[in-house]
Amino acid sequence: MKKINPKPEFLEKMKKLLSQADFEKYERIIQEPLLNSIRCNTLKISPEELKKRLEEKGWKISQPWKEHPEIMIVGNELQPGELGRSIEHLLGYYYIQELASMLSIIALAPKQNELILDLCASPGSKTTQMASQMKNTGTIIANDVNIKRIQILASNLERCGVTNTIITRDDGIRLCEKFKLQDLKFDKILLDAPCSGEGTMRSSPKTCLMWNQNTIKSLSKLQKKLFKNTFDILKPNGEIVYSTCTHAPEENEEVVDFALKEFKDKIKIEKINLPVKCREGITRWNNEEYDERVKFCARIYPQDNNSEGFFVAKFKKIK
Amino acid sequence: MIHILPNQETQEILSKLKEQFGIQKIAGKLIKIGKERIFLFNGDFSDEQIKNLEKITFIEKIGIYIGAIFPPTGEIRLSIEGTQIFKDQITKNIFEIDNEQSKIWMQGEELNIQTGLRGIIAIKYKDNFLGCGKASENKIGNFIPKSRRLRSKNIIK
Repeated sequence: MKKINPKPEFLEKMKKLLSQADFEKYERIIQEPLLNSIRCNTLKISPEELKKRLEEKGWKISQPWKEHPEIMIVGNELQPGELGRSIEHLLGYYYIQELASMLSIIALAPKQNELILDLCASPGSKTTQMASQMKNTGTIIANDVNIKRIQILASNLERCGVTNTIITRDDGIRLCEKFKLQDLKFDKILLDAPCSGEGTMRSSPKTCLMWNQNTIKSLSKLQKKLFKNTFDILKPNGEIVYSTCTHAPEENEEVVDFALKEFKDKIKIEKINLPVKCREGITRWNNEEYDERVKFCARIYPQDNNSEGFFVAKFKKIK
Repeated sequence: MIHILPNQETQEILSKLKEQFGIQKIAGKLIKIGKERIFLFNGDFSDEQIKNLEKITFIEKIGIYIGAIFPPTGEIRLSIEGTQIFKDQITKNIFEIDNEQSKIWMQGEELNIQTGLRGIIAIKYKDNFLGCGKASENKIGNFIPKSRRLRSKNIIK
């Protein structure tokens, strides 16, 4: 495995976020390969049947979370790309997805017959997870702004047999404004926001090279704008999950704090139950004090669950 | 351009699917994108809601690609997902292949075998439908798209 070399400035930030012992664990775990995690596509096959088929191939399959039997770990050492080359993958029986990335949909808990917006949908891991939980009922509008990313999204939705989704290509903020004008409102929204990706260094070491604090600042502005616009098109009692794959408080708690201040008594932050070890959101960063309720957010660190890093917050629209 | 098929056109497609594969019903809306490609959408957005959405944004795709009209004969060539979606209804023109043939098939290669069938047929390996092929006297032509092909036959068992 290629050595991961985060920039010293980034490591300094992580030191501030973690205790010394945690930071040492963090530094160690990011140099280790990720688990081979997959999600059974229940639109096409049951977890029992898939497990049986994969075990017949000689793969050692475990299901780490009892309440989510569709989530599986392949315990064998596999050749590079082997998970993506099996016939079961080509036929859409499973989706290769990192454990932490599955958490936003577990938090969102999509139900059958709901109308859901996935605003930044590509490559489609979370859209396919949603469609699977909705049993292809209701409607998902899966949007992305970039045509190349949309091609990947479309190809993944097709492979997974997703029939309840409309793919749109638009700027996220503009699309929300258009929905607002048409008075189209959603039961649930996933805002898996574009982010600096600090949590994905294990799978994507190039993130280390691209990391810089100025990008984080401009992403934080974009994330707040996206949140503001998505909240407007939520039905009363509708729910929104905001997630990122980064540790940066500017892109996480700062956005949540902004949302709580902007929408005051119209918004409620909800506690989330996730099947992994989570740390609560931080209330103080770089002399900024955040609303105490940001503690309800979930921070997922690689050293806690042998996963990638992630952040999830869930809100309800009260009025 | 997205064209939501009206009832009459849907019935024409269904009648072809019935004749070719024994398919009796289609759950959802059929949509054509371009002249040949057919999509199935079974979300609960109404035709009017889809049209309204099209007015304000660019719709790239609706639902799933289930097949295409095969130009020379007008037959319908179901995609992998098309055959999987209708798996419980396909009763005609099925050709079952063995393990070795399934590897060759999923690599996108034609199968040099006599099937006794002619035209578009559904390919099946055990419980898995693997899309459609075009059967002629001594072979089955393959339509598996590049993105879905097996790159090494050593991987699967």
